[in-house]
Amino acid sequence: MEIACSINITPNKVVINGKDVNYTERGEELLTAIYRRQINDYPKFFKMDSLSRLGFVASELLLNGEPDRFKPREDRAIVFFNTNSSLCNDENYQKTIQDKNNYFPSPAIFVYTLPNIVTGEIAIRNKYYGETSFYVLDRLDIESMEQIINDTFQDLTTKSVLGGWLDCKDKDHFEAHLFLIKDQKTSKLPNWNKIIINKIIYNKQ
Amino acid sequence: MGRTMIVKIADNIISPLGFTTERNYQAVKAGESSIQLHERHWDIPEPFMASLFKEGEIDNEFDKLHSACKYTDFEKATIISIDKALQQTTINPSSDRVQFFLSTTKGNIYLLDDKKEEFPKERALLGVSAQYITDFFRNPNPPIVISNACISGVCAQITAMRCLQSNRCDTAIVAGCDLQSRFIVSGFQSFKALSPNQCKPFDAKRCGLNLGEAAATIIYNRKEQKDISNSEWLICRGAIRNDANHISGPSKTGEGSFRALRSIIQEKDIPQIAFINSHGTSTLYNDEMESIAISRAGLQSIPVNSLKGYYGHTMGAAGILESILSMHAIDDKNILATRGYETCGVSHPLILSNQNCPTDKQAFIKLLSGFGGCNAALLFKKGGLLWK
Amino acid sequence: MNEAILELKTQIIEVLNLEDICPEDIDENAPLFGGGLGLDSIDALELIVLMEKNYGIKLQDPAEGKAAFKSVSVMADYIEKNRTK
Repeated sequence: MEIACSINITPNKVVINGKDVNYTERGEELLTAIYRRQINDYPKFFKMDSLSRLGFVASELLLNGEPDRFKPREDRAIVFFNTNSSLCNDENYQKTIQDKNNYFPSPAIFVYTLPNIVTGEIAIRNKYYGETSFYVLDRLDIESMEQIINDTFQDLTTKSVLGGWLDCKDKDHFEAHLFLIKDQKTSKLPNWNKIIINKIIYNKQ
Repeated sequence: MGRTMIVKIADNIISPLGFTTERNYQAVKAGESSIQLHERHWDIPEPFMASLFKEGEIDNEFDKLHSACKYTDFEKATIISIDKALQQTTINPSSDRVQFFLSTTKGNIYLLDDKKEEFPKERALLGVSAQYITDFFRNPNPPIVISNACISGVCAQITAMRCLQSNRCDTAIVAGCDLQSRFIVSGFQSFKALSPNQCKPFDAKRCGLNLGEAAATIIYNRKEQKDISNSEWLICRGAIRNDANHISGPSKTGEGSFRALRSIIQEKDIPQIAFINSHGTSTLYNDEMESIAISRAGLQSIPVNSLKGYYGHTMGAAGILESILSMHAIDDKNILATRGYETCGVSHPLILSNQNCPTDKQAFIKLLSGFGGCNAALLFKKGGLLWK
Repeated sequence: MNEAILELKTQIIEVLNLEDICPEDIDENAPLFGGGLGLDSIDALELIVLMEKNYGIKLQDPAEGKAAFKSVSVMADYIEKNRTK
């Protein structure tokens, strides 16, 4: 398995394939800035919760320039991991029901109270009919991520995985480490293994 | 080297219908349901139909385990179910060759609303809660939580199957649990997705789902094909596919569901399959979508049932609970009735019945769909079919 | 445009997160659903919440909503006739 490309987004930084990309915006505004600069043709972005916005822009940067980008396919899985599940947005939903004298549960917020919705948003955008999964771990466990993504290829239809760590604690504190992993080995691209994943996530080249 | 297969060695269901699989199966076979009307429950203004544990029921059962630690109701229900499944085996859950897989959509979400503040908010983190559960059994491996909306129970079984096939563990303990709460009920009400009456899967008069709560566990081992007996249950193939259409509405072409079915079925399997246990939530759109998917996959001659009329929608537990009941049904040479069904209300006719029906066949499909456009299908067979 | 229509359009833009849309961009007589705003079933449910929260009007199901949400004008008329707040 090889890593075709990688992306890291934190509130202060955007790194694509190991190279810093310059943005002056920070936190929530950084995600909107990436959307405006790189995408800007998908108004649904503004209906998404923070986790989905993070996953959406990260995947857009990852897939940017891929040939046949929007051709429908079943051979690509989306597999994400985090610690906070959808708690950032769950708190938003809770506010709409907290006060029994001001009780107005919001369906538009409720729909994002599941972490896997972001995988659905990416599947819709890219017409991916393949596997979509979400796993919650108690910390950024690179070994578990590596193993579960490797296991995903046991479904023989799956030839590539858009996967990695996607976590959002609140709208200004988040972390995305996403990879496009392919079931092939050309000599130039890095291997998908925990040593390389560790280097990319912690930026030690 | 012989081929290895994934074999069930034990199971358990705890629900408002009972605390053993046997009790649950007999209740469902007799047509019992624990779904009732709840008014002003959790200060929710609109009444709702749900199957809920009685006050103190989980606590009383958990007290028998004499644990010194404090656990939330969600954790207690999960621990009780896992413990009851383990009692049927000689597995030592503290071994590092045992891996826990936990299927849940919302876990301890009620803690966001908890005025008593019995537990820190951090306990709402699914990974933290799962760790408390595996710590009860002194298991050293970090638990894997599958949170993939309503298909989590099938996804957890698929994840476990893959882990066993990779030889990273020898035993997989797959547990699913969700408890209802103000958070979840209010959300489904905001979606206008709930029926004011008992749900009626696939029926012409269906108008929404009922909610439910349960915990269910299946323990799987890996075995060489030559060591498998005729009566043992195997997971053969599983697949997860997305509709790529809408984050909450089912696809009008049943895209993901069809592709998941297509992925797990070979032509030679079809005559062996006793039934498809569908998601069958009793919403207008879900049941219609499943009828389309099943027809597109060429499986319309296979009987279909739904178990939502007995328990309501048990969310993270559903995929595991419904798989267990389906296995026991086949062991009993039975296709369980679709409680609430009367007349066909979907555009692609399916073989449905509100009566139990006899069967000699030894395989079934578990089918599920969930928010986020995800769908999952799992093919189960008994060992006797291995050589056919 | 009249004040009630303007207020309603502003509320719709806010609750449905229509970020790049101004009240002037919405034709009050054009169909709200199936038109250029790209509204879906979740938006319809959110408008049901808006009706209750801002105007005290309880719509029981999406079918009732379909008639009331035909266009912004139809919606404004419906509110005028049925509001309790």
